[in-house]
Amino acid sequence: MADPTAEFFARVEQRGPDLLPTKARGTLRFDLRRDGEVDHWFVAINRGNVLVSHELRDADCVVATDKALFDRCALGEAQVVAAYNRNDVTVQGNLPLLLMFRRAFPSPPGTRDPRERIRERFAGRGRERERERQR
Amino acid sequence: MKELLGILDGNTFMLSDSRGDVDPSPDYPAGLFAWDTRFLSKWVLTIDGERLHALSTDDLQYFESRFFLVPGEPTHYVDAKTSVIRHRSLGGAFEERLTVLNHRDEPVVLTLRMEIDSDFADVFDAREARSLPGRAAKFVEPGRLRLCHQRDRHVSETIVTSTEPAEFDTDGLTFRIELDAHANWSTTIRAIGTIQGAGGRDVRENLHGYEQVRPEKQRELREWLGRAPKLTCDSETLEDAYRRSLIDLAALQYTGLTSQVRLLATGLPWYMTVFGRHSLITGFQTLPFMPEIARNALWVLALLQGGRIDDFRDEEPGKILHEIRYGEPGGFEDTPYTTYYGTADATPLFVVLLDEYERWTGDADTVRLMEYEARSALRWLDTYGNLMDDGYVWYECRSPGGLENQGWKDSWNAISYSDGRLPGKPRASCELQGYAYDAKMRAARLARRFWNDPAYADQLEREAADLRTRFNRDFWMPDRGYYALALDAEGGQVDALASNMGHLLWSGIVEESRAGQVADHLLSRPLFSGWGVRTLADDQAWYNPIGYHTGAIWPWDNSIIALGLRRYGFAEQAARLAVTMVEASRYFGGRMPEAFAGYDRRLTKYPVQYPRACSPHCSSAGTPLMLLRTLLGLRPHHDHLTIDPAIPEALGRIELIGIPGRWGRTDAFGRGRVSLDPE
Amino acid sequence: MKPLVSILDGNTFVVSDNRGDIDPSPTFPTGLFSFDTRFLSKWELTVDGKRLSVLSVDDLQYFESQFFLVPGEPTHYVDAKLSVIRHRTIGGSFQEELTVLNHRDEAVELTVRLNVESDFADLFEIKDVKEKVGGTTVLVEADRLRLCYQRETFRREAIVTSTAPAQFDQGGVSFALRIGPHQQWQTRLRVETLVEGAGGRDIRLSIQRHHSRSPEELRQDLDAWLDRAPKLSSDSEPLTETYERSLIDLAALRYTPLVSGPPLPAAGLPWFMTMFGRDSLITCLQSLPFTPELAGPTLRYLALAQGVSLDDFREREPGKILHEVRYGESTAFEEQPHSPYYGSADSTPLFVILLDEYERWSGDRELVQTLEHEARAALHWIDRYADLMGNGYVWFERRNLRNGLENQCWKDSWDAISYSDGRLPAFPRATCELQGYAYDAKIRGARLARLCWQDLVYAEQLEREAADLKERFNRDFWVSDGEYYALALDTEGGQVDALSSNMGHLLWSGIVDDDRAAKVAEHLLGPRLFSGWGVRTLAEGEGRYNPIGYHVGTVWPFDNSLIAWGLRRYGFRHEAGQIAEAMIDAGRYFDGRLPEAFAGYDRALTKYPVQYPTACSPQAWSTGTPMLLIRTLLGLDPHGEHLVVDPALPEGMGRMELLDIPGRWGLIDAFGRGRAEHSRTPPHLTE
Repeated sequence: MADPTAEFFARVEQRGPDLLPTKARGTLRFDLRRDGEVDHWFVAINRGNVLVSHELRDADCVVATDKALFDRCALGEAQVVAAYNRNDVTVQGNLPLLLMFRRAFPSPPGTRDPRERIRERFAGRGRERERERQR
Repeated sequence: MKELLGILDGNTFMLSDSRGDVDPSPDYPAGLFAWDTRFLSKWVLTIDGERLHALSTDDLQYFESRFFLVPGEPTHYVDAKTSVIRHRSLGGAFEERLTVLNHRDEPVVLTLRMEIDSDFADVFDAREARSLPGRAAKFVEPGRLRLCHQRDRHVSETIVTSTEPAEFDTDGLTFRIELDAHANWSTTIRAIGTIQGAGGRDVRENLHGYEQVRPEKQRELREWLGRAPKLTCDSETLEDAYRRSLIDLAALQYTGLTSQVRLLATGLPWYMTVFGRHSLITGFQTLPFMPEIARNALWVLALLQGGRIDDFRDEEPGKILHEIRYGEPGGFEDTPYTTYYGTADATPLFVVLLDEYERWTGDADTVRLMEYEARSALRWLDTYGNLMDDGYVWYECRSPGGLENQGWKDSWNAISYSDGRLPGKPRASCELQGYAYDAKMRAARLARRFWNDPAYADQLEREAADLRTRFNRDFWMPDRGYYALALDAEGGQVDALASNMGHLLWSGIVEESRAGQVADHLLSRPLFSGWGVRTLADDQAWYNPIGYHTGAIWPWDNSIIALGLRRYGFAEQAARLAVTMVEASRYFGGRMPEAFAGYDRRLTKYPVQYPRACSPHCSSAGTPLMLLRTLLGLRPHHDHLTIDPAIPEALGRIELIGIPGRWGRTDAFGRGRVSLDPE
Repeated sequence: MKPLVSILDGNTFVVSDNRGDIDPSPTFPTGLFSFDTRFLSKWELTVDGKRLSVLSVDDLQYFESQFFLVPGEPTHYVDAKLSVIRHRTIGGSFQEELTVLNHRDEAVELTVRLNVESDFADLFEIKDVKEKVGGTTVLVEADRLRLCYQRETFRREAIVTSTAPAQFDQGGVSFALRIGPHQQWQTRLRVETLVEGAGGRDIRLSIQRHHSRSPEELRQDLDAWLDRAPKLSSDSEPLTETYERSLIDLAALRYTPLVSGPPLPAAGLPWFMTMFGRDSLITCLQSLPFTPELAGPTLRYLALAQGVSLDDFREREPGKILHEVRYGESTAFEEQPHSPYYGSADSTPLFVILLDEYERWSGDRELVQTLEHEARAALHWIDRYADLMGNGYVWFERRNLRNGLENQCWKDSWDAISYSDGRLPAFPRATCELQGYAYDAKIRGARLARLCWQDLVYAEQLEREAADLKERFNRDFWVSDGEYYALALDTEGGQVDALSSNMGHLLWSGIVDDDRAAKVAEHLLGPRLFSGWGVRTLAEGEGRYNPIGYHVGTVWPFDNSLIAWGLRRYGFRHEAGQIAEAMIDAGRYFDGRLPEAFAGYDRALTKYPVQYPTACSPQAWSTGTPMLLIRTLLGLDPHGEHLVVDPALPEGMGRMELLDIPGRWGLIDAFGRGRAEHSRTPPHLTE
């Protein structure tokens, strides 16, 4: 796989309004440590629209962590709040903004919609029953 | 059962025995806890190697207490020559001022020692006696003792200092003191718990309100009480319960890590953190008194609304959270509780509270600001909540560490058939359908008035009407005359007789013609014990008077039922329930516990304690407030408050002065005119 | 200290932990007791070998309690599937109804067991542990378990029976049970206590009241008792609560002594469930306006047991009123002197005082005439045997050097009488309140002589003696530089100069010169003596002051009630109200039940009155305290055939009504009102 983090930010930029509340507004910077260097991802959100750059600018909320961990978050394998609680992620500034941005992270790999599994198990009996009753 | 004494400040609490000592205990979380972590697991005071005994304890404030102690086992004929006063308080740090009094007419030399340890256990570990991964270390440094625990980057520390010079060792500190005849000696021992971030800083230090000194806490409490409406009434018991509730609600507030508003911890000692359901219910109960509790609950739950499907956390987009935990096991994903979503009721209740909040406060901005979250929540009802595609709200646990039942009665055996069988999953318990109906009806109002979307409003009303019709067809059991507790996966009625249907009255989903039968069931045996409505009727297979959700009586459950009864015009029945709750509160010193036993009142002079019930508990603290609302018949009507009292004679006169709301402040008066037969 | 639960009926009582279990304790009287003997020292319930835990305790009545229990240690998440209700009553015998409830949806098999033992300890052996001389045998019979104790002819026996079929063995009784789903099982266990006299008969069988009484009879008896007492209605809820509590406790403390007759007040649970001369007399004085039925029998009983000859071991002298009666083994075998013991110098004058006060309320001249001989003997004792130094004061010095009391006044602990600097005076000692009592006894004796005995010469003689005593007393006991009365005189006539509560009693007796009363009141309500919760036994700053010292710093409610009464006698209405208010406030923190004593810490230091370690509770004269305070606040005093009411209620106490006060006038009502409007918010609720 290429770079999960880069793909994640590309998707967020593209699909921002679907993923985030329309009222969302603010700037975040992710400082990702990798082999002694730090990648900066600057995210500007305005009414759900997202612009991503690599600028090292002041942001409302600055999030620092390892690139490897962030890759796992970007893939849905790790969760940012749990990582924060064990000190693998540190945050300065507006923490609620990060909690809002949390909505942009994907589900764990292989996750299925729970309704699909129910439909398989019950072969759509619930809906059928309801139709039956309507008649 | 050992007597335990606690002081608390938000989600920080210290629980000790009646001497003030903390001994490691497997069955109860004794010690100093903050953020779900135990910072002191041993805190034992001795004089010349001897343990002390309590003469009495002053419960000064919720954050402060004092112990009067003497060395040795007290006897009737030998006077103690030394006494010790242990005065402790919480306000960020834990402080204990020790005063040793020499009652002799001559000088004395004493060795005073505090044994100290910390296991940094998570509150769950304290319950299950799991051992914690990671490394522990103790450091004796000049003027202080430092206890540390490290797991990867997660470092917890307890630092103990003293104002008087002490000899520190790895297991505590010792004072050698010389006291003149009739002289006193004092020191203040301080224990600070920190959880360190990457830079070695306390992650909480930039939060408002963390480091607070006592006078400031006193002032805060005074202001809090000053803001609340004043109650005067003939019933001293009701006054006491009201006063106690206000103080407990103040005590349970804390500033969260993840947001900047005041959050409500749920119950001492197991639930000292935010629970979605209880924050919402308490917000609802307290609206006529302290509307900020509702606002803060809506804020934090909107912020943490589910964003993705995550089976480990039972999370789905639009779903409102079940609980937050700050402890180590959640952080390392040993448990799903860092943010756990395994509840099906918080999501509709979120919408219900948002509407109710606006009705009282007139705060249209918040309703507009939360349009996105409210719509997401409503969408969840029709999508992830509607697991069986039949228009009802269902639940099924997917998380390995999750809850089997995801309604408020979440113990494993809470949802059963009358004969004791447990239904297969998923399950659709009845009150969830009531909440969903209410959420849609209320959201329609919000859509029309604040979101400029009349089409959506019409749609919601159609859906709600349809749900009500279907519900009254599928859940009603004509031969029994009550609503089924739930539907099973095959659409069959789970037919146990339970308190849940009281919530249906509150939601308004009950057909008018059936409400009388529902009210009769609620207020008569086998469901009614004489002290309140039992969670499960006493003729059901799983009934157990000391079963958590299968026979015990929950005050907040009763407060919802009472309001529901009034909604349908059963003023007398609501009054009866209110008066039994108020009577029960007497036996708990005005502080309603989480739950008490369901034994028949004819058998017990006092309501029997439920073993190890949480107390204080936020929704139990909210109960007297909601009962007052019910008794006075308070209802916002446009920009006015309407008052329609239905007060039992036994409670006499009630005056509530300065009720806040969109009208500014207003007063309500009522006199006891409802005559009830004695229980 | 584990929380203890007691039920009692007179001097039969059970003290258990809050599970209802009795574990043998060598140092504290847990167990089933009757007439100073422990009949059960172990009574421990298990289910399948496991102890139970308590959910809650209903103390239904003083003779009845109920425990809700579950097996094992309760946890928050695991529901118990079984609960046990233990409902016990005491009424002659001890009965316990055990109900086991199965909350499962299936049948359950289990073994319920009670481990039963008795050490037949005498109450004194528990205070000072000692080997038993006699032997204990356990007899297992088909339908009962008999625990027997014999020492020569002294026999005691406990018999355990059960209504449900049971398996008895040496260590107790077991039940092998099968209980259906949601069913319950029940048995009633009964423990009879036998105090065997000659011929193997229970000597108590001759006492009519001692027949086992059912809870129903006990309940009716209590209802009738409460019904006879005056009804209090008051704006002060703590006052009403403490009054009601006191009436019930006083009912509980009534017992019938072995010599038979109507019930008398026992002194206090658990150590003093017997007749104490001083405690009984003072309790009767306190409760006269409320429950006058206690005073007559108490006077008759004490008269009957009045000393007629000298006995050093029992400190008996002709005319002397007893100190304490005990029925246990150690007394029977003369290891202890309490059969009865006479080591107190105050009960004799107090006997005369009660006799007069009783007549003033009841108009019962007949009893005064009947007891003329005993009253004269008591007055004679004051001049003859009490005046050890021949200088006209009442003195004491013990003659029983083995186990007699050193101090024979109400403050009877060894260090209670001291100089200001902490030194202890030599014996004999003459404490000040004894002189006050003697003065009052003479004045009152004169009234009785004139009114009932038709002996004017004797009346005048008593009055002359009293006047002389008062004059000498005010000369010898007044500490002029401190302006208070000395606690006592020593053998050299020197003043034992500690500042103490004793001088409050002097006001009550009337021995204080009018122009000195204000100084005395000032001391009593000053910061050294008054803690804010009441008057301390010893002033702060004295050498032996200790806020948790039994008689050297603690606050005693009964002491305060007498002081308040004395203050009113000398016109200090406000000060009397101050003490009454402090006591009533303190009572709130003990659920209306004032204990024997509580700690003397300054009120500014303690939000609640601090419990004194192992104080007796309920205790008769603490129980009488709220009654005397009500009398004092309402200013009740019989004058001829009438009751004078002169209320002086503190501000904030609101309205007080006492209805149906019994006396020579029939029944009469009294009303009073605090000067300022009463605020409905209790003080602890205002920040």
